Amino acid sequence: MCLDDQILNTYLDGELAEPWKSQVEEHLSYCPSCRARYQKLVQLRDAVRDAALTDEEIAPRQERVLSMIEKNHLSKKSSQSFWRRHFRVSAPQVIGVAAAFVVVFIGSWAVFGGNKDNTIPLPELNTTIDLKNITPVRSTDNASTSKSLESYSLDEILKNLDARGYDVDIRLKSIQPLALDRLDSEVKDVARIPEEGITISSDGMARDDSGAIVATGVSLDASNQVVASDGTVLFSAEQVSLIE
Amino acid sequence: MEIKSGDELAFRRVYQEVFPTLMRVAYHVTYNKDVAEDICQDAFIRFYDKDMVFPTMEDAKFWLIRVTKNLAINHVKRKMRETASLEKVMKNPQINPFKDGQTEFILQESSAAVRKAVGDLPEIYRTVIVLREYAGLNYGEIAKVLKISESNVKVRMHRARKELGAMLDREEVNVP
Repeated sequence: MCLDDQILNTYLDGELAEPWKSQVEEHLSYCPSCRARYQKLVQLRDAVRDAALTDEEIAPRQERVLSMIEKNHLSKKSSQSFWRRHFRVSAPQVIGVAAAFVVVFIGSWAVFGGNKDNTIPLPELNTTIDLKNITPVRSTDNASTSKSLESYSLDEILKNLDARGYDVDIRLKSIQPLALDRLDSEVKDVARIPEEGITISSDGMARDDSGAIVATGVSLDASNQVVASDGTVLFSAEQVSLIE
Repeated sequence: MEIKSGDELAFRRVYQEVFPTLMRVAYHVTYNKDVAEDICQDAFIRFYDKDMVFPTMEDAKFWLIRVTKNLAINHVKRKMRETASLEKVMKNPQINPFKDGQTEFILQESSAAVRKAVGDLPEIYRTVIVLREYAGLNYGEIAKVLKISESNVKVRMHRARKELGAMLDREEVNVP
C-alpha cells in the first residue's frame, strides 16, 4: 500500500515518529511513484523557502523600527519609571501615612495642648509686661526624680522636639514671634538708650535694666533712629548709642 | 532564562533575535514590506509596554509571533474588505492587494509567483505555511501559536501544500 500525502508531508517536516518513520523510509526506497511524489513535495517546500524575505531586505527595516522605538518608547519609559519609582504609592500606603500623621498630631496635642495649669510660661497679650508676669525658665538640673512634662523647660522641650525632626514654631497672636533663638545667644543687643535705661536687641525687643520687655517690634532705621514696627520714631539718633 | 518584556536590555535581546522572524511572518501574510514593518513595530511596542514576564526566550518569541500573525491577518482582512468595496465603486477588478511596488522587479519570477501563491492561500492554510517555512516553527509550536491541536496542524499543512502545488502548477512556474 502506498503512502498518502499527509504522511509524506509529516515525514518531510520531520514530525513523523517511530516506527512509522522507518517504515516510510523503507517504502520510499523501493516505491518510485511515492518517491516522485515526495520529491515534488521537497521541491515545493524549497521553492517556498527560497521565496522568503531576505536578510538584506529585513536589515534596514530592523534598524529603522528599533530607532523609532528607542526614540519614542525606551526613553519615555525610563523617565516614566522614575516617577513611578518615586511617587507610585498604593491606597493602603496613603491611608497609613495619613493615619500616622493624625496619631502624631493628636498625640502632641494631648501632651502639650492638654496642659492647662500654665506651668509653661507664655506671656499674654494685653498684659503689662513686667517681671511679675515672666516666670524664669526653670532648670531641670535637680529634676531627675520627677520626669513629668513640668520637669522640662520650654527650651528643652523645643530642643527635644527639634532633635526628633519636628519643626515647631511658636507664635503669639498679634505680636512678634517669641525669639526662641535668643536662648542660643544668637540675639545680640544692638543699641542702648542711656537716658531711659533701655536696651534694644536684634530680635526687636526693648528691655529695661531689670530685663523686663518694655516694647516689641522696635528696630534701628538707616539713620540710627529707634522706630516702632509702624514706623513711629521712638528715640532720635542723638538719644541712641550703638552697641557694636 | 526569564524574559521581562519591559526591561530594556531584555527587550533589545529579544528584538535582535526575533525581529527577522516577525518581519518574515508579517510580510508573507500581507506581502507588503511597509505594512509588515509597521506591524512588527506595533507588535514590539505592545510587547515592551505590556511589561510581561516570559519563562524563556522561546515563549517571548511565540507571543510575538502570535501577535504579529494576528495583526497581519487583520490587516489583510481589512484590506480585502476595502478592496472589495473599492472594486464595486470603481468597477476595477485588477487591484491586487498583495502587490508590493518593488516585488516584481527585484524578485526572480519564480519567487514572485510563490509569494503570490502563498498570499492567495486561504488564511488557515497560509498561516501554517508561513509559520512553518518562514518562522521555522515545528508542528507543536505552530499548534501553540495558533491554539489548535497538532493533528489539526498536520491536516492543514497537507492541504496547504496541496493547494499551493496546484496553484503553482496552474501558473506553470518552473519549480526547480
